[in-house]
Amino acid sequence: MKKIIAMLLALVMVLGLAACGGSSAPAATEAPAAAAPAATEAAAPAASGEKTTVTMIAAQYGPKTGDWWADFVAKFNEANPGVELVVDVVSWNDIYTVVNTRIANGQAPDLLNIDVFADYQADGLLLPAEEWCSAETYAKFYPAFLDQSVVDGVVWAVPDLASARAMYYNKDILEQAGVAVPTTWEELTAACKTIKEKCPDIYPWGIDMTTDEGQAAFAYYTWGNGGGFVDDNGEWILNSAENVAAVEYAVGLVNAGLTNSDPANNTRYDLQDLFCAGKLAMMIAPNALSAQAGEAGVNYGFAAIPNNSGTSVSAGVMDRIMCFDNGQSDEQMAAITAVVDAFYDDEPYSDWVLMEGFLPATSAGGEACAAADPAMGAWIDIVGSAKFYPTAKAEWADVKQGVIDVEQQALLGGNVQELLDNLQAEIAG
Amino acid sequence: MADNVRVNYGKLLSRILLYFAVALICLFILYPYFVMVCTALKSRSEIFAMNGTIFPIDVMWSNFIDIWQKAPMARYMLNSIIIAAGSTAIAMVCGIPAAYALARMKFKGQTAFLGFIIVSQMFAPVVLLIGIYKVMQVLGLTNSLLGLIFINAAFNQAFTIWLLRGTFLSISAEMEQAATIDGCNRIQAMMKILLPVAAPGIVTTLIFIFINAWNEYTVALCLISTETIKPLTVGINIFNGYNMIEWQYLFAASIFAIVPVVILFMSIEKNLTSGLTAGGVKG
Amino acid sequence: MKQKRPYTLLNKAEPYLWILPSVILMAIFIIVPIGFVFRMAFSQVTKAGLVKGFCGFDNFAKVLKSAKFGMVLKNTIIWTIMVVVLSTVLGFILALILNNEFKGRKIARAIVVFPWATTLVIQASAWKFIINTDYGALNTLLKSLGIIQQNVNWTPTPEAFFAWEIACGIFVTIPFVCFTALSGLQSIDSSYYEAATVDGASYWQKLFNITLPLVKPSLTVATVLNIIYVFNSFPIVWTITKGDPASRTDTLVTYLYKLAFYNGKQGEAAAVSVIGFLILLVCASFYMVSTLKKGDE
Repeated sequence: MKKIIAMLLALVMVLGLAACGGSSAPAATEAPAAAAPAATEAAAPAASGEKTTVTMIAAQYGPKTGDWWADFVAKFNEANPGVELVVDVVSWNDIYTVVNTRIANGQAPDLLNIDVFADYQADGLLLPAEEWCSAETYAKFYPAFLDQSVVDGVVWAVPDLASARAMYYNKDILEQAGVAVPTTWEELTAACKTIKEKCPDIYPWGIDMTTDEGQAAFAYYTWGNGGGFVDDNGEWILNSAENVAAVEYAVGLVNAGLTNSDPANNTRYDLQDLFCAGKLAMMIAPNALSAQAGEAGVNYGFAAIPNNSGTSVSAGVMDRIMCFDNGQSDEQMAAITAVVDAFYDDEPYSDWVLMEGFLPATSAGGEACAAADPAMGAWIDIVGSAKFYPTAKAEWADVKQGVIDVEQQALLGGNVQELLDNLQAEIAG
Repeated sequence: MADNVRVNYGKLLSRILLYFAVALICLFILYPYFVMVCTALKSRSEIFAMNGTIFPIDVMWSNFIDIWQKAPMARYMLNSIIIAAGSTAIAMVCGIPAAYALARMKFKGQTAFLGFIIVSQMFAPVVLLIGIYKVMQVLGLTNSLLGLIFINAAFNQAFTIWLLRGTFLSISAEMEQAATIDGCNRIQAMMKILLPVAAPGIVTTLIFIFINAWNEYTVALCLISTETIKPLTVGINIFNGYNMIEWQYLFAASIFAIVPVVILFMSIEKNLTSGLTAGGVKG
Repeated sequence: MKQKRPYTLLNKAEPYLWILPSVILMAIFIIVPIGFVFRMAFSQVTKAGLVKGFCGFDNFAKVLKSAKFGMVLKNTIIWTIMVVVLSTVLGFILALILNNEFKGRKIARAIVVFPWATTLVIQASAWKFIINTDYGALNTLLKSLGIIQQNVNWTPTPEAFFAWEIACGIFVTIPFVCFTALSGLQSIDSSYYEAATVDGASYWQKLFNITLPLVKPSLTVATVLNIIYVFNSFPIVWTITKGDPASRTDTLVTYLYKLAFYNGKQGEAAAVSVIGFLILLVCASFYMVSTLKKGDE
């Protein structure tokens, strides 16, 4: 009996401490307001001393990203003796964990390079782009790109790069099977069947419905069928007839054995590796695959994503740079603007974009890239006509996880209509 | 005479069985490492080749050299050693007295304390990240090796205290009492009499803490942002990029990461086997 | 009397001084962060992670209402029981083998440390690489040995995936059990065995009547801690499947990780971890009550 009491005591201790934690809550609850002066105080000595510090968290796009930033920081700090720029490069696997932990502790960076912005904006953590982006830099962006970061008529983030998706195919395999490059769903199904017959060791079509990027599959098929995440007014239409048919079509390809073996666990990177090894005939991938496939010696080509509605839609993905409201002083704001200007300066910026094979988000960058590599020109046209995920909407994170879950349930035999109805009800209320 | 021969056969058979079992187990355990080494020696295209082979066709020893240029591996390794050694030291310095008190003294709240230690382990580090970051911020230890040393020492207190308490309890207190009568104080008695006899338990604990701290990933990832103070576990993420996983580099780096732990283990393993001097064990 | 009093007070305080460093260490670096988890579990937390005030049991209600929670809980329990039971049995057998004197024992023991000396993320990556259908090392090996002709899909169902994850969990947990048991075995006085041999006891009699009872204390502690560690284990499942498909291979920790950092529901994630904590607390209480009672007798 004594022992039970002892255990209870231990529990009480924990709860007691939790209560202490709770009582200190108000201090942190006012984070935006309270953290701001705290941050200013922290920055003040630095400002009155010698250097203004600008902190930044940047996503790691590939093996060269770290070096690029190290080089950029060194050059910037040398050119701006009054400013100290500190950049943390974090891998995509971990960046949300790192950023959320920092924000929850009132330690948001000044600048952040990541894909999403709506959650931060919804909490009032961000500063409008025009407050920290010089007019000169601002004018460089493709207007269609800036539109993707608008909430309540204000631009909250600027694009750092873009990437567009198209269908990659292995020319040798298609030739061997004697099929033409498919442009419609019907042709795609037929081509897959022929390839499977003629080359039984090869996966005809690659599908990725993983937690990594399953939302992309949803986009490819629904957009190709005239559906999508939202209607023209920006309202969620997840369970539209077009969407149901689109998901059923994709799952049908899997069930017919025309795709990679496990779409719920094969990520796009797995598929790209298969494609480069010549084991996969066709897949939808970003332009970065060109370099990888070329290196592997695959005879590849790319074409528009097959569709069912008559209009091919490319899927665009865009990442952003945003500035957190940490109650920065004027000196700090000036320093931040200087960092952003330096980043979009033509020379480092085209380096940045070409480094990992992405597409530029500025017109000047676009011209520079097209000049450097003619194949890029085609891609810059593709990205210009691409649709983007509705990342500006506050429910996006739930929708993204929701459609991935729907796809995976459907793969396990769930009813697509029912699943999408439930998701729509959950999201739109 | 005949009886004697049969006994010898039986012994021989059991020896053969023993060696066979050990060999089988070792092969099984080594298989993933065999795969890692083979993969680390392949080129990227060979790893994903249509008809892959077990051994690399083109042996790429350069992969093992490249990683040292592609990432500050030596620096990462040094950081990991500092963190693991520091955590082990602090965990032992705090844990041994606590375990000693629990094994040799009677005090109120003893059971509650033992319970409290277990309770402290019940949340996954992933869950505690936000709180840990806050604590580190207050102490000014974010982005420092010292912060990680403290965290790892704290995480390993439970095992340290419980295992050492068990070890101490299994050793008779008579010799320490005798030593106390001879004029030793408690600390001296513990250091001179108890700890040498408890060596196997202490070595197990040491290895445990060291390895746990060496392998810790989640907290280090969140607390450390400066490249030069990243431990190995976080640092080798550089080969796990946005577009592809560089398996050959990742595995090559991982093999290097095992080496220090195995060396440490080999060097203190004899304490694990030396066993106890007969007199010290409670009858 | 007056002189003796401070002395006894010091005597009474002494044990607390001995445990003080440990208490401070754990209080600051573990208990305070745990406090934050509780605070989050009972607060409304925005997607970006800001705490917006008390909300009672809202987060718990949302978690328990979710259709997936039951399945995830079931997975977690299967995962914990399978990994702990099998790794304890296998680890103990391995310890018995390694406790024999034989040539090369030092090397054999060093090899057994390998799975433990490897970071879990890497270990899990290696397993994922080995069981891959298309370029996995296991298929390559079996094909070279002529056992199979075609690549085999080792993970055709979510259950198969989960079984592989459990196998990986057992693989990395065995060394821990093995070395805890080994340190227990080492401290058994050999005179017991000698006496038993003289009495004509068989190997199995010695195992069950001498070895097991004497190793039990160190093994039970290891098992309790093992249950906690395995219950909260994250990297294996995360690296191999991320809980896909549709949470069929999720355990509580991977589930709450997705809730917190993918869905931006940190309040609910904290609630899940509090529920997990309560489950562990109940299990541990049983253990504490039963074993500590024995210890006190």
